[in-house]
Amino acid sequence: MDVRPRVIAALAAHLRDLDLAEEAYAAALEACLCLKDAPSDPPAWIFVVAKRKAIDLIRRSRSEARAYELASASQAEDDPMADILELPDPIPDERLRLIFICCHPSLAPEARVALALKTICGLPVGQIARLFLISEQSMYQRITRAKTKVREAGIPFELPARRHWGDRLGAVLLTLELLYTVAYQDSAAEYDGDLAIEADRLATMVAELCPDEPEALGLAALIALARSRENARLDTFGAMIPLSRQDTSKWDMSAIARARCLLDSAAQLGSPGPCQIMALIQLTHARRAFDIKTDWPAILKLYDALMLLRPSPVVQLNRAIAVAEVEGAASALAELQQIPKERLENARPYHVALSHLYSRMGDNQAAADALDAALLLDPPRAERLLLERRRIELS
Amino acid sequence: MQYMLLINEDESAYAGENGSQLMEATLAGHMKLIEELVASGREWSGNRLKDASTATTIRYKDGQGSVHDGPFAETHEELGGYYIVDAKDLDDAIEWARKIPMPGNGGVEIRPVWPEEE
Repeated sequence: MDVRPRVIAALAAHLRDLDLAEEAYAAALEACLCLKDAPSDPPAWIFVVAKRKAIDLIRRSRSEARAYELASASQAEDDPMADILELPDPIPDERLRLIFICCHPSLAPEARVALALKTICGLPVGQIARLFLISEQSMYQRITRAKTKVREAGIPFELPARRHWGDRLGAVLLTLELLYTVAYQDSAAEYDGDLAIEADRLATMVAELCPDEPEALGLAALIALARSRENARLDTFGAMIPLSRQDTSKWDMSAIARARCLLDSAAQLGSPGPCQIMALIQLTHARRAFDIKTDWPAILKLYDALMLLRPSPVVQLNRAIAVAEVEGAASALAELQQIPKERLENARPYHVALSHLYSRMGDNQAAADALDAALLLDPPRAERLLLERRRIELS
Repeated sequence: MQYMLLINEDESAYAGENGSQLMEATLAGHMKLIEELVASGREWSGNRLKDASTATTIRYKDGQGSVHDGPFAETHEELGGYYIVDAKDLDDAIEWARKIPMPGNGGVEIRPVWPEEE
């Protein structure tokens, strides 16, 4: 399991400095890799050593006063090795708290979520840039600016008072939603199981903390539905199985039931939003387990609603896939061609959808070309296996 | 950490029909805020500035300055006063800034003051 996000979050909360937490983590990890015998509990070891590395880093760079303050806080003045030998408390789980902090309204809206994903969830900058459809360079600058502001403007490292949560909840939910997207968009296999569990855990926690926020309930439902299919997404060769071909008997019915309850509670609050609609789309797919076939007209209507509430090229793309099922491939292709191409050229699902539509219209050459374009965009293993298989079928 | 709260507001609000009443209410709001600041025991300072029509700006081009009539920023909202308060963190500073009376349009900019030891 990737320990980085959890340790970084604990360090950031302790050090009150996001950059310093990352530097100290890197220094401690290096020290850990130099050890002859691996420590019995590497995350705890790294956490303890990183706290000390942070003090060194501060001494070397700037403020003696701050280093002293931290040194006395980490109660290690006497024997520098003492707390490494007998590891103290378990590493506190600070991730949710830090996500709230990264979502402070004084940060630029477009930076909040990116900062949370980078620092707290440990996603690489390149991946975050792709989620926002901007260049890695711009995303890097955005995150750097936000980190500097957190430090220089004195954004507090405490969970804000409840009355201020409203200001931040939107960004918090978006962070968790993107975390889920990263865990699942690249579907199966190299889909990150830890990340999926983590997104589920955090979203469930937010839903419990904010039971009157319909979107929080919607997001928890959305993630529960995605997780309900975890056992059905891969074939024996490790290739991804598209949703429409999954064996519904492998779906987790209790997770689906849980999502339904969450969505019922959300609906009673009477304020629809994008997360609830996305969850309803997934719930409609889940009903194939009972109804045998998928209610595509219902799904198309939900995508229409989503386009009103939160239009984006990605939603448009998914809507086009529903259009193909209801009105046929030609209408869907016309829809796809309306999306500004430069927004989607680097998005694999776009090329996969194009290929699907061309092949349904009998244009195997165009379908193969589109698949080649998708394969060039570095799909994770499970998806690559599926796409390569389709590519062979086409030639 | 010390924060400067820069009050930018639309002066014309005070020139209208109920202008003088509005001004009285705003000043009363400031007095209340000052009482709270004093009661909190923290370090603070602050001043009201005269109207932007009294402002003079030295504008520089390539390091050469020349004196001009008027405020630096030509906007509808003019810098009308400021506070410097000692606050725990940005959230604390925001809480104080929200107490600044602002009957019409405008904004309060919150800027950390460069600490002395750095």
